[in-house]
Amino acid sequence: MKVNYKVNFLKYLYIFPIFALIGVVFIYPLFQVINSSFYNIRMGKSEGVFIGLDNYRLIFSEPLFWKSVNSTLIWTLCSLVIQLIIPMFVAIILNQKLKGIHFIRSSVLLPYIVPMVALAVSMRWMLLPEIGIFNEILKNTIGTQISFLGSQNAAIPTVVIFNSWKLMPFGTLLILSALQTIPEELYEAARVDGANFWKQFIYITFPLLGKIIWFMGFLVLVWNFNAFDAIWLTTEGGPGHILQTLPVLVYRRAFKVFRLGEGAAIATVGSVFLVIIGLLYFKLFAPKKED
Amino acid sequence: MGTRIIRTILVNIGIIMLLLIVLFPIIYIFISSFKPLSELINAATGFFPKQPTLSNYLTLLLVRTPVRNFPLFLLNSLKVSLGTVLLTVLISSVAGYGLARYRYPGGGILIQSMLFIYVFPTVLLIIPIYRMFLNLKLLDTHLGLIIIYTALAAPFCTWLISSFFKTIPIEIEQAASIDGANKLTIFFRITLPLAGAGLLTVGVYAFIIAWGEYMFASILLSSSSNRTAPLGLATLTAEQYIEYGPLLAGSVLIILPVIILFFPVARHFIKGVMGGAIKQ
Repeated sequence: MKVNYKVNFLKYLYIFPIFALIGVVFIYPLFQVINSSFYNIRMGKSEGVFIGLDNYRLIFSEPLFWKSVNSTLIWTLCSLVIQLIIPMFVAIILNQKLKGIHFIRSSVLLPYIVPMVALAVSMRWMLLPEIGIFNEILKNTIGTQISFLGSQNAAIPTVVIFNSWKLMPFGTLLILSALQTIPEELYEAARVDGANFWKQFIYITFPLLGKIIWFMGFLVLVWNFNAFDAIWLTTEGGPGHILQTLPVLVYRRAFKVFRLGEGAAIATVGSVFLVIIGLLYFKLFAPKKED
Repeated sequence: MGTRIIRTILVNIGIIMLLLIVLFPIIYIFISSFKPLSELINAATGFFPKQPTLSNYLTLLLVRTPVRNFPLFLLNSLKVSLGTVLLTVLISSVAGYGLARYRYPGGGILIQSMLFIYVFPTVLLIIPIYRMFLNLKLLDTHLGLIIIYTALAAPFCTWLISSFFKTIPIEIEQAASIDGANKLTIFFRITLPLAGAGLLTVGVYAFIIAWGEYMFASILLSSSSNRTAPLGLATLTAEQYIEYGPLLAGSVLIILPVIILFFPVARHFIKGVMGGAIKQ
């Protein structure tokens, strides 16, 4: 018995460091940020002045905040649609048994693993009017030019597509993993019955992907809701604050105009929204403990 | 069999188009970094450089001012990334081993709660972490960044390496234990080397996370001599006259190490993510 106790205690030593780290870097700040949202904090000072709900009153009365909520919803929904639909087709292509398919799969993952900062600053150059490659292509094909990052109409679709291009490989990988669990016999039987590609997709592939699609939808939604680098490094929130999503607004409020308390309040409001989404997901779609 | 041939052709066309869309910007960045300014400000000059030059790289690396010292920034990034790799590999291999070999109360939930941090709103963290580091005197230090990056990388790495440990039969450890080796010796001398591919994958992942991170670095670092490469690159775009040549050269120098490190472990990485996706 004595030995057992010792083993029981020792096994917690293995996982202590990682959970301590998660506690310090993720859990403690969670409570700290809510606390900060009730204070007026000056940059560089460690203590703030308690002001109750004033920060919340202030941000809720700001048109800029509501515009930001609006931008966040548009940004997240557009990204969600693109990043759910396209990976399905990419995954079907990558699910073929071909020579060198492993190399092709690795290559398709490249945008996901390459640092955002390098892609974003180079993309700014590629998207420039007059001198950029994309406008050169437009000039030669449809004879017109677009100020991709400079106009309010074009900025959201442009950055959504750029960000989706970068994140898409991950979703593709998730769907690919689900595709590989679908037995090939199902497709063969369908082909014998004369089902074409679309029929196979709608009656076999799509229904069997169900669970992973919901999981991916949840991940994609959260990641895009939280997206910062893609937006900040290309447009800093866009022409006329059109791309100033909540994370961008928090960053700017806290570290550009140095009102940490207000930033904390905005971050808290945004996170409440995410928590609701998360709870909904786990209530409705989380895998049940059957396996 | 005509439909099979058509199918093969369609798949091949699909793959070529896919690779083109996915890789075009990266390849274009790489190729354009060798173009002189006159070609960089006029895309009509074509895809390939007419007069290839190294001047963008030379300007970036040799024209140095205290606020624009790219070699130093690369060195800082290397320091932070290697620190992150060391700490991540240490923490996640120990935790992954524990999770693979012992049962914990609520074991499944334990791992899930660890991965929960990947849906955590990072923007929620920046203000409290800034204040915490202010109090701990970790602002503007590389150690502070290493701690954050390790926290970002370690949960996924723990989960990945744990699946590698599970494939190592416990009998090997039991045999060593009969031969009188203690737990520490068994872990470091026997189990860890057997999980070599896993360690490598985990190390590369941690490196990639730390090497390219921008947001935390931009908040936590203040003095220009401490800047990491992503921060240095982003400040190039803030100058009044953006020098596109050095900008592209800097992008390539940030992208290239990631690609070189990624390909050897890509298979393990893909297998790890896909295996986990099915489990979920």
